[in-house]
Amino acid sequence: MKKMYFLLAVGFAGIVLLATTTRTKKPYGLTVGTPEIKSINALTFSPNGILFVGDAKGGSIFAIDTKDAAVTGQAAPVEIKNVDQKIAALLGTEVQNITIQDIAVNPVSKKTYIAVQHSDGTPVLLRVEGDKIQPVSTKNVEFSSLALNNLPSADAKDRRGESIRVSAISDMGFADGKVLVSGLSGQEFNSTFRSIPFPFTDKQDQASLEIYHAAHGKYETLSPIKTFTTAEIKGKKYLVASYTCTPLVLFPMDELKAGNHVKGRTVAEMGSGNSPLDIVTMKKGDDSFLVMANSSRPVFKVKYKNIEGYQGSLTTPVEESFATAGVQFVSLPVTNVIQLDKLDDTRMVMLQRRSNGNLDLWTSSDRYL
Amino acid sequence: MMQGLIFFVFIGFFACQKTAETTGITVRWNNNRATGIAIPQNRLASFSLDSISQLLSVRLAKTGAQPAILGEYQLADNAVIFEPLIPFTRGLRYEVWLRNQRLDGFEIPLADPKDAPELLAVYPSQDSLPDNLLKIYLRFSRPMREGQSPKYVALLKNRTDTVPGVFLDLQPELWNPDRTMLTLWLDPGRIKRDLQPNKRLGAPLQKSLQYQLVVSALWPDQQGAKLAKAFTKAFVTIPRDSLSPNPNRWQIKPPAADGNQPLDITFGEPLDYSLLTETLHVIGNDGKPITGKWHIGDEEKTARFKPAQNWKPGRYTLRIEARLEDLAGNNLNRPFDRDLTQKTVSVASASFFERSFRISRPPSGSDAALIQGTP
Repeated sequence: MKKMYFLLAVGFAGIVLLATTTRTKKPYGLTVGTPEIKSINALTFSPNGILFVGDAKGGSIFAIDTKDAAVTGQAAPVEIKNVDQKIAALLGTEVQNITIQDIAVNPVSKKTYIAVQHSDGTPVLLRVEGDKIQPVSTKNVEFSSLALNNLPSADAKDRRGESIRVSAISDMGFADGKVLVSGLSGQEFNSTFRSIPFPFTDKQDQASLEIYHAAHGKYETLSPIKTFTTAEIKGKKYLVASYTCTPLVLFPMDELKAGNHVKGRTVAEMGSGNSPLDIVTMKKGDDSFLVMANSSRPVFKVKYKNIEGYQGSLTTPVEESFATAGVQFVSLPVTNVIQLDKLDDTRMVMLQRRSNGNLDLWTSSDRYL
Repeated sequence: MMQGLIFFVFIGFFACQKTAETTGITVRWNNNRATGIAIPQNRLASFSLDSISQLLSVRLAKTGAQPAILGEYQLADNAVIFEPLIPFTRGLRYEVWLRNQRLDGFEIPLADPKDAPELLAVYPSQDSLPDNLLKIYLRFSRPMREGQSPKYVALLKNRTDTVPGVFLDLQPELWNPDRTMLTLWLDPGRIKRDLQPNKRLGAPLQKSLQYQLVVSALWPDQQGAKLAKAFTKAFVTIPRDSLSPNPNRWQIKPPAADGNQPLDITFGEPLDYSLLTETLHVIGNDGKPITGKWHIGDEEKTARFKPAQNWKPGRYTLRIEARLEDLAGNNLNRPFDRDLTQKTVSVASASFFERSFRISRPPSGSDAALIQGTP
């Protein structure tokens, strides 16, 4: 009986302890609760392992502390064959009823996170643990959120630089303490790129940018960014973005401020009839590389040194059909890579549709760089 | 703490074992979705909730070893409730296992074919469209399954040939938040003059041709129910539209005051359906917006505003957000693509454009009639 009392006392102490931790302020302004995530379109991590979830349906970005913070030095390669079929079985359905929306590697634990959407719209967050796929609960977690679709009021005096409604999030990243989000609107063929300081604040100081890229110096149109990464070129930080017609465009990070009309410098035309899917920045020895997955091209690799060396801006049309121009790049012997993220400096986690039709999650070795 | 919990769970089991007579597993429905199952506790002997979630598993009824479906277990109404992470799929069979023993099976019935979603409208609704048409909206009666449009939407030329690569293959697709309206872009890379896809493949639509937009009846909604019928919209292409809409040319027909008769606006050309629903505003003399409802009419060439309250005589402003576009993506500030070598095409950077109009008292004749009619 004494033992029972003791247990009860410990139990109460636990409750009291829990209650106090709930009330104490969490780092990054996070609070404990259950985020109302309506869809997961994009995933990214901050360098210290805070997970960002892009929810286009709910028009929000969520920052979640997954408590998956055990530092892993040498990351084990991820290798799951027929990953879509395995996920479908775990969710009790068939493969045609699920879509893998994004993958992201936690840079601290080196674990791969997978965002899945069921055909009825239900989002599911999963994590690869060794050869197992586990659910990541978003119930009673430390989180904060930021609404993307703050529609300007009808009678706002000047709407310049204010956001337009995002229907889809095409990519999300984290750099210099900011969440970077590129979105697409169902109404305007525009770039809705935002740079949002983290921790999120009540103030709406997110930058909404108008990004133009000139097509061969003659015609100028707005266009949405499909995917992007950030990189340092000659000591200056750049946003490296690619669009649906596969130009590679550089934007200086320090110019990406709210209301600015930023014009990018096109450094490469990577071929028409293609849509870029994912870009990552990798490093091997003294060289850093940009690696890009494509819808109808193999995976491209560009040396940042070549971008540094290329100081021009593409202004003349590419004459030959399917030809490319500008900075030199290499086509890797890997095709149909749908998702790409970096496991560490030299290795990438890839979601690839193999020639036999299988969808495999695997890790590339450093020989690809 | 844990011991205490287990103790309570045991009490629950004993209590229900006395009362529960039925043994069947029941499927729990929410909003037409099979969101869980209830397994009567008498089928589960006396296990704690902890051990139940260890020993019990729900699996797909398929040949070969199937993993336990991810989900949560809880106790309620004398039963163990299992809720999978995603709803059970219609048309599939499942099994409930306790340790290595199959307890029971259940099936989720297919959706009722009579309860089918519908394609309510396709915008633009006109049947002659510019050959640099930029987008098409499909409006459905209920949330549809995403990522399917390349499979179920096709554009036919002269009723025979499918036009390949006409729509921009966007993943994710551009749906409204409730997944009832989809935006399809005609590949802008092919519309933008001089870009690679435009030079190589030409514009997606050609001048003066007959086209048919065909939406297959096989498109499933979020619950798996397929469209009631296929949908075809025929149209013919007219010459390219490279000019920004000009609100100064619009006709504004204000109603008389002392009523809530609608304000009618005629654009003289069709404009973008989705943007029209958001970019028009009526502002009163005091600078405050007038509340009311917009109705987009007649092939998106007109709009009608019905105020919530009666009009008062005075000056009003029709404010049009500059992002309003015509069918070819030309907005009030700039055309969709701009030839930088031509100085004649001007580009504005206004946030909105305004037209003012006056609402007057009805003519004296009707005033008199009104007075006469009043006792």
